[in-house]
Amino acid sequence: MKLLTLIAFLGISQICVAQECILRLTGHVRNENQEPLTGSTIYLNEVKQGEIASFDGSFTFNGLCAGSYTLVVRFVGYTPQEIKIELPKENPISIILSVDTRQLKDVFVHQNRLESPVSTSALLTTKELDAVQGKSLGEALQSVSGVNSIQSGPAIFKPVIHGVHSQRILILNNGIRQEGQQWGAEHAPEIDPFTASTITVVKDAGAIKYGTDALGGVIIVTPAELPTSQQLGGQVNVIASSNNRSLTYSGMLEGGFNKEGWGWRVQGTGKYAGDSRAADYVLSNTGFRERNFLAALGYHEEQKGWEVYFSHFQTTIGILRGSSVSSANDLLNAIEREPPQFTEPFTYTILQPRQEVAHSLLKLNGHVTKGQHTFQAQYGLQINQREEFDIRRGGLRDVPALAFDLFTHTLDVEWETSRASRITCRGVNAMIQDNNKIDNTQTLPFIPNFRHYSGGWYWIEQWTGNKIDWEAGLRYDFRFYNVAGFDFLNRLYRSSLAFNNFSATVGGTYKFHSQSKVTSTLASAWRPPNVAELYSLGTHQSVAAIEYGLLLDEVTTEVKSYEASGVKPEQALKWVNTWEWGTPSFNLEISGYVNYIFNYIYLRPRGVTNTIRGFYPYFRYAQTDASFVGADVTFQQKWSPSLSTRGKISWLRATDESLNDRLIFIPSNKMDVSFRYDHPQLGQLSQLFWEVKGKYVMRQTRAPRTVSVRTILENKENGIDILASNPANFDFVDAPPDYFLLQVSTGCRIPIGSTHLDARLTAENLLNASYREYTNRMRYYADDIGRNVSLSLKYLF
Amino acid sequence: MKFVNRLFLFSCVGALCLLMSCDDDPEAENIPELITQATLTFTPTGGSTGPAVVVTAVDPDLQGSQDLQVSGPINLKLGTTYQLSIELINELYEEDEEGYDVSEEVGGEEGDEHQLFFRFSTEVFSNPGGTGNIKDENNPSTTGLGSINYDDEDENGRPVGLLTTWTTINDISASGKTFQVLLKHQPNPGGKSASSTSLTGEDDMDLTFTINVVQ
Repeated sequence: MKLLTLIAFLGISQICVAQECILRLTGHVRNENQEPLTGSTIYLNEVKQGEIASFDGSFTFNGLCAGSYTLVVRFVGYTPQEIKIELPKENPISIILSVDTRQLKDVFVHQNRLESPVSTSALLTTKELDAVQGKSLGEALQSVSGVNSIQSGPAIFKPVIHGVHSQRILILNNGIRQEGQQWGAEHAPEIDPFTASTITVVKDAGAIKYGTDALGGVIIVTPAELPTSQQLGGQVNVIASSNNRSLTYSGMLEGGFNKEGWGWRVQGTGKYAGDSRAADYVLSNTGFRERNFLAALGYHEEQKGWEVYFSHFQTTIGILRGSSVSSANDLLNAIEREPPQFTEPFTYTILQPRQEVAHSLLKLNGHVTKGQHTFQAQYGLQINQREEFDIRRGGLRDVPALAFDLFTHTLDVEWETSRASRITCRGVNAMIQDNNKIDNTQTLPFIPNFRHYSGGWYWIEQWTGNKIDWEAGLRYDFRFYNVAGFDFLNRLYRSSLAFNNFSATVGGTYKFHSQSKVTSTLASAWRPPNVAELYSLGTHQSVAAIEYGLLLDEVTTEVKSYEASGVKPEQALKWVNTWEWGTPSFNLEISGYVNYIFNYIYLRPRGVTNTIRGFYPYFRYAQTDASFVGADVTFQQKWSPSLSTRGKISWLRATDESLNDRLIFIPSNKMDVSFRYDHPQLGQLSQLFWEVKGKYVMRQTRAPRTVSVRTILENKENGIDILASNPANFDFVDAPPDYFLLQVSTGCRIPIGSTHLDARLTAENLLNASYREYTNRMRYYADDIGRNVSLSLKYLF
Repeated sequence: MKFVNRLFLFSCVGALCLLMSCDDDPEAENIPELITQATLTFTPTGGSTGPAVVVTAVDPDLQGSQDLQVSGPINLKLGTTYQLSIELINELYEEDEEGYDVSEEVGGEEGDEHQLFFRFSTEVFSNPGGTGNIKDENNPSTTGLGSINYDDEDENGRPVGLLTTWTTINDISASGKTFQVLLKHQPNPGGKSASSTSLTGEDDMDLTFTINVVQ
């Protein structure tokens, strides 16, 4: 930086200028990779004027007098810089901001982990998050290649990385391992993306510092750093969407105190949505509400800092009424009826079935640096309450059918040593978790009450070389469950289970030259079965199927002991190779992976049982060896400073290796391409753009066989259980056909005094296509959502 | 503020749990919605005489994977009028507990959201004629469905079906025919009404028996 300043000084023109204030100062802000930092703020202290860097990182001040000035340049996630300049000055100044490592450390993300090439990861920047503003976390993440979602209707998205999901993906929210209730495919992560400044998706299983379970990858949600100066700032977002006639609003205010280093932030988000609409009909009872807020206070200086953070997330989500069924006959009705049963005119009212979920997080953390050593500690308390309301008999209508409270305490301590070309990182994690049913649901609890203790330690070494970077890590964990639940005859049972194992990772990056590098990581990870996979018992109303956990006897349904059951923890070996090639106008990333999971736990269709309500298909959690082989390609071509093309392709092939069969709910191959035209300035407006995006999703040709409900019932009437005689995986309906979605968007920045307003207009599914997505569980009953036009406004001050 | 209070409560409970280790047994739930056993009693009525005919359907393991045990067949006499009464029981309760007799709820307080529907082979009954009032899912507009002689009604004057009257044919014996009983839960809105049918709502019970009509 000093060098740059020096250059700036040397560049000062010697030409004498009259003492009129007509001087101009131009420049641009970039990061160390020479990428423009759009949206950086440049503040001239002496004249109290601010500017925002445009899409290419450039800025201009006009009407300045000659003299010396102090420029303060800031960008979220980067270390602010102060630069002294002298005017007049002819040449544009070049400012390079470096990533703020202190912030990254605060969220327990190793700076080299994010920047390090020894990892295959994708970053959603603030700008990219703006493009998916107002969407849920799972939906927003779909813009990352290799990431999909298991969906349950228009508002519930569960992220899928490289074909694996649920407990196999760790989500770190502000550095804390998100512990929600994840015993169903219709349980979405309880995180408000408005709180994030960036989201990173680590796609290799090597992120071992975060704990067991990361067989598929890690999602890191990082909030902006707290301010350290007194200046008050904030942001207001409003988004209106046509499809579900929803309004989303979010406001953030932050500032500091008289004393340097102190900062605070408050933020709140609300969403109010009615029924969504497919191309041809209303999707009744799919409205949702959301209310979130957070408050944070912290103190940071060069060598130490601490923070208190509290966030609360609360949502009510309606589930498509036509998907609620109580028997195979009902399921038959629900599947074969188009439009779905119980389709009513649009309403904002949410009836049953619905979910009401609340999640609170309290976090305390601190860090201190002494020489080359940095010590960090954080404590997190998470309280998660989930209530699911089903269609029930009269007096029980307003009583949840499933209701659980989950308390999680986590403690993480880390010690990091940075030397010139080597970083060592070791730490311990501990967790206590309590799950309790909320009494008086008047149903058999779907999962038992449990107490869960776990702990672990890790050691990671990183070496940075000229041509090659290396990383290696080792981790040990134990986990202990104490379980008390009720069996199928409502009798109490108790059990205790213990697990322990090692995880390991090794990876390297070879830099061919500045434009090209290749990364390879190999990781071995394990995951003990979770309590839901072991002990689930009951019916999920949305699929009219009974589910049995791994420890329930196949014939008698009695609860078996773990030792007698032959159940083993999952063990994964994931190898990811990524080749990146970039020039200023062209970027290409090709990534190929193999993930072999031994003892992969999944819900397997096993038969049809005749109950008093009629015939029900039933599923048992089962174990098999599964492989996931795939590739992701992303590219970006800049045809001119204004015109660019981006594209991505995801390909995945998953196999049940033990049964030599196919797996269900594996995302199909897809590709998307977008063309974007940027117009830097048009009159008062800046950052004007137009974008057209096409998304093509292929049919899942590797879906398991189809056994229709009709076939099951007809055979059962003749006394034949066609599922019991053939253990192969199946699905009730064929995989839906391929589909194409067109999206157009435009936006610009409107100056308002010294601040500005960002406006964006987007039309999704512009052609109002009727389609069904294979990984959306609603596909059994109804089409996916039709055209949606949304207007989003963002005001920064 | 309500939330803050709740949070405080949660934190206290959380902390308490940590200190005291919540090892107390969780409380068992009352489970009122299940039907574990259905009994159909055909009692001769309206001048007909003879013994009552009783059949049952028992679910041995509730949500377990073992099949329902259906007794039968239903052996009715030619040319006889029967009143069919249906008793629904939830064996997760003791006999003297409320909740044991599900038919009490279905026929009483919750009658306005329940109805029983019937389907039977043509050669079994002379009254009602036809094949009953369970519609075919594939062909919901099916005409020619018979009516059922309901003997009970809910608070809105609509039939429930725990009590019904049936007259068997009086000439030729029939054997190996089927008799289906379907209990529908039809909560409002969109539930039980003048226009609701067997396709409305969710199945609470769906049983099929073999029926014979003999000399």
